[in-house]
Order: sequence, then structure tokens, then C-alpha cells
Amino acid sequence: MTRRYLFVIDRAPYGDWSGREALDMAFSAAAFDQPVALLFTGAGVQWLRDQQQPAAIEQKTVSRNLSAASLFGIEALYADQASLDRFKLAQSEPSLEISTIGSIREVENQFTDVVRL
Amino acid sequence: MKKPAQSFTLVITGAPYASQAPQTALHFAKAALDAGHRIHHVFLYGDGVHLASNLACPPSDEADWPAQWREFLSSRQISATCCVASALRRGLLDATEAKRYEREAFNVSEPYNIAGLGEWLESSQSSSRTLYFNGSH
Repeated sequence: MTRRYLFVIDRAPYGDWSGREALDMAFSAAAFDQPVALLFTGAGVQWLRDQQQPAAIEQKTVSRNLSAASLFGIEALYADQASLDRFKLAQSEPSLEISTIGSIREVENQFTDVVRL
Repeated sequence: MKKPAQSFTLVITGAPYASQAPQTALHFAKAALDAGHRIHHVFLYGDGVHLASNLACPPSDEADWPAQWREFLSSRQISATCCVASALRRGLLDATEAKRYEREAFNVSEPYNIAGLGEWLESSQSSSRTLYFNGSH
């Protein structure tokens, strides 16, 4: 059976390690030629914010990891419109190609494996 | 009509005593076996690797989740992996890693082995379903 993996990132970056570890999983599945996409929702849309400067808290910006997504063969980056509106993210990181979606359930239904860490 | 038996991979990403994830996963695993299904593999990831520590000493009037899981895995002969990247970051080492990183002690041993994300992917591909237990959703 062909698997399709959707990783749901619903927490802001830097507060904990779950998002980074979700990316590690996503990139490793993509490296093994599995169809993989990422979905940012809730506070997770903060991953997409432009010009993050986490050096002051001794972290590295997650934008760099995300811009590598297409290199790793990640098929799509989704963000739900309601969350983008809620966090006032009219414009996300310009280097990223984001598909905005209305229904999370509709996207989830296109995948066999939905992963929330 | 009886549904055909399924095989499950369980991924635990919540730590014991910080989340309910290991307990929920164990209850699920036992119920699945009782219903005639199979647990193909257990993968500890993120904070879930703390479950593999054999140095956890909870008070005697509390459930010892790491011990209960070890007993369950051994008696049912279910294979379990602790993700190496998650484990090293959090100070969970087996004898081999302790030697490699020149540390004085190690706290991961049978029934867990330490390996990479390839184990997760391989077991997820060979199970009918993979369930993720993070304890917070």
C-alpha cells in the first residue's frame, strides 16, 4: 500500500522541540521517496513568519529548515487561512511557497498517515 | 462480520510523568492484542524516549510506567526502538553510545534498541496503521 504522509505542525517554533522533530521525520520520509506534505495550523503558522530573529534566545531560525523542504522533496506546504488570519500573517516568509487551505479535514483526507507530534 | 486482524506500529512522543502518552499507548496495545490484532513495533521519539530509561525510580505508591512497558514488550516479544537523535539529545544512551561518546553510564538496554528514523519508516510501511501518542492532543 502506498503511504502518503501529512505532518501537522500546530505549535509555535522555539517553545519546544516537537516541530523540529516533526521536520526530521518529514525529511527522512521524503528522503526515502515517500510522498510528504506539511500542514501549519493554529500557533504553528508562526513557523511561516518572515524575518525571525531567534539568535537572542540561542536558537537557529526555522525558516532555513523550511526553505530546504523542496530540496528534500516535500510536495507541499499547507497553511489554513483561519489561523493565518488569527495570527495576522498576511505575508509569510517570501522564499516559501505556501498553499492556503480552507478545510483541514479535506487535506487530511488525501493522506494515509497524519502525524501530529 | 468480524474485521480482519490488523498490525499496528505505535509511536510514543510524550514522556512518562510529563504526559499520559505512555499509559494511553500501553492500554491501547493491550486492548488491541486482546482483540486479536498485532503490535508490529513500538518507536519512541522526541520526549517519548524517556520511557526507555531503566534508571527511572518513581515512588513505590505510583505506577512504574517504564517498568510496565519493559515487562509488556519482553513478555509479548514486541520489538521497540528508541530514536537515536532524540535519545542522545536527552541523555538516553545504551552501552554502545556511552562508549562512543565517552560517558560513564548508560540507561537504555533490552528490550529497547537505539536506531534511526529508518526504523520508524520501515515499521510504518509494514503495519496496517501507525498511531501516534503525544499525550497532549
